[in-house]
Amino acid sequence: MASILTFCMATHLSIPRSSLELLAAARLLSQQLGGLPVQTLLLGAGVKEHALTLIYHSADQVLLVDHPCLEHPEDEIVLEITQKVVCQFEPRVVLLPHDELSGGHVGPRLAYRLRVGIVTDCTGFAVRNSDICWLRPVYGGKAMAYLCTRGPVQIATIRARAFEPLSTDPFRQGEIKEVKVAPESFSTSVTVVERIEAAEERGLSLDRAEIVVSGGRGMGSAEGFSVLHELARVLGAAVGGSRPAADMGWVPHSHLIGQTGKIVAPKLYIAVGISGATQHMAGAGSSKTIVAINKDPDAPIFKLAHLGVIGEWEEVLPPLIRAFQEMYSR
Amino acid sequence: MHIVVCLKQIVDPEVPFHLFRIDPVAKTQIRGSHPLVISSYDEVAVEVAIQAKERFGGWVTVASIGTKETIQALHQALAMGADGAVLLCDPLFEHTDSFGKARILAAALRKIGDFDLILCGRQAGDIEMGLVGPFLAEELGLPCATLVTNVVSQNGKIRLKRPTEAGYEVLEVPLPCLATITNDESNVPRYASVKGIRAAMRTPIPIWTATNLGLDPLMLGKERRIEIEEMWIPQREIRCELIAGESAGERARNLALRLRELGLV
Ligand SMILES: Cc1cc2nc3c(=O)[nH]c(=O)nc-3n(C[C@H](O)[C@H](O)[C@H](O)COP(=O)(O)OP(=O)(O)OC[C@H]3O[C@@H](n4cnc5c(N)ncnc54)[C@H](O)[C@@H]3O)c2cc1C
Ligand SMILES: Nc1ncnc2c1ncn2[C@@H]1O[C@H](COP(=O)(O)O)[C@@H](O)[C@H]1O
Repeated sequence: MASILTFCMATHLSIPRSSLELLAAARLLSQQLGGLPVQTLLLGAGVKEHALTLIYHSADQVLLVDHPCLEHPEDEIVLEITQKVVCQFEPRVVLLPHDELSGGHVGPRLAYRLRVGIVTDCTGFAVRNSDICWLRPVYGGKAMAYLCTRGPVQIATIRARAFEPLSTDPFRQGEIKEVKVAPESFSTSVTVVERIEAAEERGLSLDRAEIVVSGGRGMGSAEGFSVLHELARVLGAAVGGSRPAADMGWVPHSHLIGQTGKIVAPKLYIAVGISGATQHMAGAGSSKTIVAINKDPDAPIFKLAHLGVIGEWEEVLPPLIRAFQEMYSR
Repeated sequence: MHIVVCLKQIVDPEVPFHLFRIDPVAKTQIRGSHPLVISSYDEVAVEVAIQAKERFGGWVTVASIGTKETIQALHQALAMGADGAVLLCDPLFEHTDSFGKARILAAALRKIGDFDLILCGRQAGDIEMGLVGPFLAEELGLPCATLVTNVVSQNGKIRLKRPTEAGYEVLEVPLPCLATITNDESNVPRYASVKGIRAAMRTPIPIWTATNLGLDPLMLGKERRIEIEEMWIPQREIRCELIAGESAGERARNLALRLRELGLV
């Protein structure tokens, strides 16, 4: 079918936000291509209930692969299933989230196997003479480009938060179709032999926080970061960091903000000791208000932030924390 | 264990955006006077390879598709501790897409022959497609582990560490295989030692062309499936409101007040 196929790797408890963002992208693309139907591949163990949510968010048809072996699926199993589904349903466009699983593994290998092009990490698209041009940042976000691919299928992976999920419409109708692919019959050469959950993390989750406080190389040390944690505690904020901060181990790597880390869009993003590299700002640029605290008046971040304070964090943060404490105690 | 690291030389990605220029017709960056460097994740991959060699023995070869100038990047990897290098250089290689690059690297790896582990960066620091690694694994029909940060153990199979949302996991993969590398606090690239730099200069670097690799020139040109249509530099400057105040303390207090005024805190 000439459809747009989106992807949703779910757990029993929830579906990722990315699957709803993909549906929003797919609906927009469908309109520009003259109304192609939108299909979603829903994968997981005990995930059937989520099919309706996907339909309410504009899927016309949900292709369901629900199997206990998809509780913690290996990348290659997901690849095999996706390949089978794509070969069976022959969509015209495949939209995948640009995350570790799909952007880093399934998307590229799928494209290679189908001998078709793929554009990764897209933030938009334009349809020109019924060809899709995929919009994406290049050179760490310093430039933008339109890329086109050749082949009967177009594959793109979509950057988180590039599209806003559509509002849910509980009256929408759609079809749920179970796909027989026998996931248990696939084998994989790469197996997970150990899963380690990190000890209790400090502070709030980055994804949900309304305020994110983020530190960079300018924080100088892990001790510097504990002052940031103090600020975060007062504000009820989550703590993130730039790549040097994560490399130095001052914040866990799962809290790295940027193009190759988390992409957040809180209402307030406070960047402390961060120079404002485009690769970092790719992860925070859609925040409603960006505040920069930096000692260097020429730091690029002062061209990317809404509010700025020039100064050493050692001198700015303690009075700032006190000011908020006083504000909140009144 | 013989580890081959595929590395790309790029214009320094840390060039600040006000100095960044592109050629909109050629649809590529203008280098200007900016230095060329090893793409950052590839430098991390070199570090991962050298750490694995130090722990489990073996040797490390670095391979790059590039120009004569790329020898400098290969020397840097040798100086960090790689044992051998090869440059893949031919005008025919210049206009290939990710499929073509994977085909060239695959030919080089077949020529190298006795490798156990191939490491690629998760993505090159220029266009950042993140395709060549997984494509190369497919091209060679090898198992492929993605976004790992180091080699944990080696014993016929290897175990690789991969960070996850909640912590990390350990992947087991039979050899030979390919892995794409991402960074964490364990694999920050080392600086080259003076001794390393001297040794690097003495290491001969063979240059392999399409003919050496037995690649059909017609095939290479025809392979393009991914095309850059248009490139531009977006206007992105925001007028930043600088918070006034005599002292840092006063500016901090004024910031708090301004944020409250805006209803943000
Ligand atoms: C392919 C690729 C992907 C990348 N992905 C990411 C990514 O996802 N996320 C990311 O963050 N980076 C990423 N990077 C790295 C990025 O290019 C920058 O190198 C990095 O973001 C810089 O981090 P920083 O601002 O903390 O450090 P620096 O650039 O070193 O800046 C430190 C800043 O702190 C200021 N400072 C110093 N001392 C003080 C003080 N006492 N008080 C106040 N200010 C002070 C300095 O003036 C300076 O502006 C990537 C790079 C590449 C090539
Ligand atoms: N010209 C090249 N020479 C050697 N390796 C390359 C080259 N281009 C890409 N690679 C490898 O493939 C990875 C992904 O590149 P890319 O698909 O261009 O983002 C890089 O990190 C390198 O390890």
